[in-house]
Amino acid sequence: MPAAARTTSPASAASTAVLHRALVNVVVMASLFCVIVGSAFLIRYWRAKAEDPLKSPQAIALKDRLRNEPRNEQLKQQIRELDLALRRQYFRHLAFSHTGGWLLVGGLAVLILSGRQAARLRAQPPLPALKTDAEKRAARTAALARWAVAGVALATGAGFLALSLSAKSTLPDRPQDLAKSLAKLSGEGGPDLADLPKPAEFRANWPRFLGPDGNACVTNFTLPTEINLTNGTGVAWKTAVPLLGFGSPIVWSNQVFLSGATMTNRAVFCFDAATGALVWQRPVTNVPGSPAQPLEIPDSTGYAAPTMATDGRRVFAWFGNGDLAAFTLAGAPVWAKSLGVPKNMYGHATSLACWQGRLIVQFDQGEPEEGKSRLYALDSASGRVLWQKSRPVGASWATPIVADAAGKPQIITLGGKWVIAYAAKDGTELWRFQGLNGEVTPSPIFAAGLVFVISPSDQLFAIRPDGFGDVTKTHQAWASDENVPDITSPVSDGELVFTAASSGLATCFDTKDGKKLWEQDLESEINASPVLAAGRLIVITKKGTLIVAAAAREFKLIAKAELRENVLASPALVANHLFVRTTKSLICLGAKAGTLEVKR
Amino acid sequence: MKRRAHTFLVGLWTWLAAAGVAGAEQRFPPPDFESGYQLPVTQTPAPRAEWLQYFDVLVLLIALGLACHLILRKRSRAGVVGLSLFSLLYFGFYREGCICAIGSVQNVALALFDRSYALPVTVLVFCLVPIVFSLVVGRAFCAAVCPHGALQDLVLLKPVKVPAWLEHALGVLPYLYLGAGVMFAATGSAFLICRYDPFVPLFRLSGSVLMLTTGAAFVVLGMFVGRPYCRFVCPYGALLRLGALVARWRVRVTPDFCTQCQLCEHSCPFGAMREPTAPAANPAAQSADRRRLGWLLLLLPVLIAAGAWLGGKLSVPLSRLDPNVALAEKFLDPRKAAPLPGVQTPQSLALGRAEDNPKELLAAAAAARQKFAAASWLFGGWVGLVIGVKLIGLSLRVARTDFEPDRGACFGCARCFSFCPNERVRLGLQPAPANLPAPAAVAATAASVPPAKPA
Amino acid sequence: MAAGLSQEEPVNRRQFLRGGLRVAAMTGVGALVGALAGRSATDGTVWQIDPARCLRCGQCATECVLEQSAVKCVHTHAICGYCELCTGYFVPDPNALNTGAENQLCPTAAIRRKYVEDPYYEYTIDENLCIGCGKCVEGCNRFGNGSLYLQIRHDRCLNCNECSIARVCPGDAIHRVPARHPYLLKTTVSH
Repeated sequence: MPAAARTTSPASAASTAVLHRALVNVVVMASLFCVIVGSAFLIRYWRAKAEDPLKSPQAIALKDRLRNEPRNEQLKQQIRELDLALRRQYFRHLAFSHTGGWLLVGGLAVLILSGRQAARLRAQPPLPALKTDAEKRAARTAALARWAVAGVALATGAGFLALSLSAKSTLPDRPQDLAKSLAKLSGEGGPDLADLPKPAEFRANWPRFLGPDGNACVTNFTLPTEINLTNGTGVAWKTAVPLLGFGSPIVWSNQVFLSGATMTNRAVFCFDAATGALVWQRPVTNVPGSPAQPLEIPDSTGYAAPTMATDGRRVFAWFGNGDLAAFTLAGAPVWAKSLGVPKNMYGHATSLACWQGRLIVQFDQGEPEEGKSRLYALDSASGRVLWQKSRPVGASWATPIVADAAGKPQIITLGGKWVIAYAAKDGTELWRFQGLNGEVTPSPIFAAGLVFVISPSDQLFAIRPDGFGDVTKTHQAWASDENVPDITSPVSDGELVFTAASSGLATCFDTKDGKKLWEQDLESEINASPVLAAGRLIVITKKGTLIVAAAAREFKLIAKAELRENVLASPALVANHLFVRTTKSLICLGAKAGTLEVKR
Repeated sequence: MKRRAHTFLVGLWTWLAAAGVAGAEQRFPPPDFESGYQLPVTQTPAPRAEWLQYFDVLVLLIALGLACHLILRKRSRAGVVGLSLFSLLYFGFYREGCICAIGSVQNVALALFDRSYALPVTVLVFCLVPIVFSLVVGRAFCAAVCPHGALQDLVLLKPVKVPAWLEHALGVLPYLYLGAGVMFAATGSAFLICRYDPFVPLFRLSGSVLMLTTGAAFVVLGMFVGRPYCRFVCPYGALLRLGALVARWRVRVTPDFCTQCQLCEHSCPFGAMREPTAPAANPAAQSADRRRLGWLLLLLPVLIAAGAWLGGKLSVPLSRLDPNVALAEKFLDPRKAAPLPGVQTPQSLALGRAEDNPKELLAAAAAARQKFAAASWLFGGWVGLVIGVKLIGLSLRVARTDFEPDRGACFGCARCFSFCPNERVRLGLQPAPANLPAPAAVAATAASVPPAKPA
Repeated sequence: MAAGLSQEEPVNRRQFLRGGLRVAAMTGVGALVGALAGRSATDGTVWQIDPARCLRCGQCATECVLEQSAVKCVHTHAICGYCELCTGYFVPDPNALNTGAENQLCPTAAIRRKYVEDPYYEYTIDENLCIGCGKCVEGCNRFGNGSLYLQIRHDRCLNCNECSIARVCPGDAIHRVPARHPYLLKTTVSH
């Protein structure tokens, strides 16, 4: 209002000047106050939201220490004091933001009021100059404004164009196409195979239980001529394994992987294949869906019975409590989930398999009537379920194989009464064969165009895998009931099939007709499945005796060696080295460090 | 046991209000107490009483009526400031900016397009009453009732004049914002205008750090630029501006006749005052104007079509503001990062939900995408229309004899009145010059405002 | 004032146009009222969390526009197991089952633990301290009966037009419910 600045007497002019100076000072102070309080407000606000007392690194460190020294009363007191201080501070922050806000409002009010008053004191009465040519100026303004509006329009248009560049979307535009993208998601398109290793690389490694295709047979392999654990002859290295597990080692390139677990701890270990050094170990914790209460599993199976598997880029471990975890070869966690707590009276033991970027998980549990058993194919990169099939069986302990049989990749599973083959791509059931009974533990193998399966302590079947539907009556090539094992899997070089029963009885059959060619009592209990290495049958007994025999139509003992520790796991055979997991350690038999070379 | 049953009945009675949420599996059976322990009852503090909402409506109506009276009859800046203060305190700091006419536009838009959305009556009233008032008396709501406007008006310290051409260009933005806000609300995906309101967090003294900072920036800007949000952002102000353009009554600076002293133009911090212009005398200039107008009229449908075409391309990016679409896209992304084991982030949880029921999510996302397919080209067309109409408006020559506020741009803050010498004469603040009509006559004409016609 | 007089006619035309538009706008507003009046509700709605959909992500504590979130943990005691080892109260693997800060899961010590009778303990929430982070809810739902859960407290909630927590809720658990039944409390199934 122009009324204020109309004082004329010098005295009042001086007092006006003083007042003005005071007001300007107030304005400056108020602005400073507002800026300080405002920034403090914002900073504290931001910090109070981001931090709660539990996130204090100091408190975390103290609590970590307490875990190691659970009886340290002084430490506890320290934690309590810190906690109290932190919580006080937290709520002080909260309170400050409230009062700070009002302080700010007050400061702003003072700033505005005094600023206005100061401006009013100095306000000059407006003396507008006479303006002519209003029309011309209006026209010029309008012209400028038109161009400016055109500029706004152009900027908007450009913005729209830039925005429309990101129009590509994974969500289809038409609702009709949704079904297609859902199907794609469920694995029909399949996972990205571009970065997965070539099949030859799989053959050169030991990526799963019983070798690349689940038939533990390698053709090019030289065993050390002499093995002596006492003086180290023929032993490349021996390393202690920190956690117990009955799963077998797997090998990829220059790394050996093992899982181990107790009731409360689960972990994955990676060893250097050349030196045996522990390269990394990763605990498997906080798995979503993992059971809260520790599970009771009999010692005979333990908490890490399933053998790990790798797709060449990631390793996967499955534990007795159902936790399923994936890590990169370098040990970075990739994903973890639980498909459920296995309902299994002896403890869960089925191992994993990989096929073309999919992780095949045979999850048999409970009783057949419960309908809880499933076969899953997970995307190995993300853990996403690509497909799952319900299985009409109860708990089983056999590991599935993926075989290129009868011209198509088939997943062959054993469980309950049934051998069931599924198409690996989408899980469609191809054929099933009835003939198993008891607690199915030996895994199937595929050799010489036949699938060999064992009904524990009952029969060894050879099945032609080219049927459809129930092939029980039509596709049985032969069967034998001689010395059939109850735990171990058979092994075949295509010409002969060998079994090694837990009683210690080794037997050889002809793949063509199932005729028994020989049997030999090895006079020791056997839990680990036998393996074949270039014409040698290798059996490791539970007591740790390594027995090498000729894989021929007649039995011939070639060598024996004592590993001096109990062995329940099958060995892994890679590049002339034999990796054996004993109950305590991991032993690598073969030439010493530096000579290990893995074929690519 | 009886006691327990009794407790339970009491409990049930309290919980009857809630829809029966199925009890979680009870891993640990609730105990049977032997010590006579009574189960505490879950407290349920009630929401704000219903009648208080109607009280808000009443306050709005009274404040609007009072604003009209203060602006048009009393012509009192002090009154307007007082009412602004009240509105700032009541609708701003007390009601914390939430019941708000600005945001209500979105609710109305959503109710128009989504039949299942029940629009609260109070929101409808809050949206429409200021518009009706604007059709009658102009932007009385902006002047003294809207807490956003009141805050900016009160913090104005030393206004800087925004060049008229820039003002015109930036004046387009509220309409674009309005279009976007209506589009996102009508598709049921977001209340954009509420989300990015800079002042509500200030009223609440809490909110996201980004919006608090933006609000503070607007306040600081508002000290030097008159009402920056109202003029260049506010989508509801854009609507009221349209209403004010055709209002029955309007603010006039002078009570009787204009002395062309330009003082009122100097007084307006919002650049709303227009100086008198004569109609173009030069026939050549006139014909050039006409030709331009013709071209622009032809351009209008072209602009609308171009906007619609361009907008149509935006349906995919715009639909990403819909949470379902955003989640569905992430879920369908073949290259999505696998969730880290043991680390549950909100995103991994959301993806987990999607995995559990992908059909439901994808159906919702596809429906939203469909809505955007229609809404986006309409939005684009709206943008073209706004630009075209603005260009046409800028090519119309308006002849004025007096200094008068632009009907649309004038907020009715009542600042200019006391600058007008004739008004000061009317109020008896300064003597009437001899060559003017007698004060009695002036008073008589002044009493007949609004609107006062030039003698 | 001659200029003004000469403008008389166009002004009238303009006034006429203005009047027409005004009538049209009024009619539009009337039509809007007509279209929406039938569908509008006299009773309001408020935001609430559906405990069945809540995934305990913890964002309720950080996303609310209020500095101390309007979301609080509530306790339906009828479901509570009154456990001595409450997984909503204690950190996993607690040092001892006492109220020491080192054993508490709650970042603000908002849960009170009170001995009732052997072996039962009562747990109550101090809402002035609770920040709605849902840590206890996660513990209680994952391992216990799920008697602790999050609810929006209407004495604090501002009932924003667009709930900023609902916007980011991964479980899509927050929706508007009738203001007359403003809570979605967990109850036991009929006993």
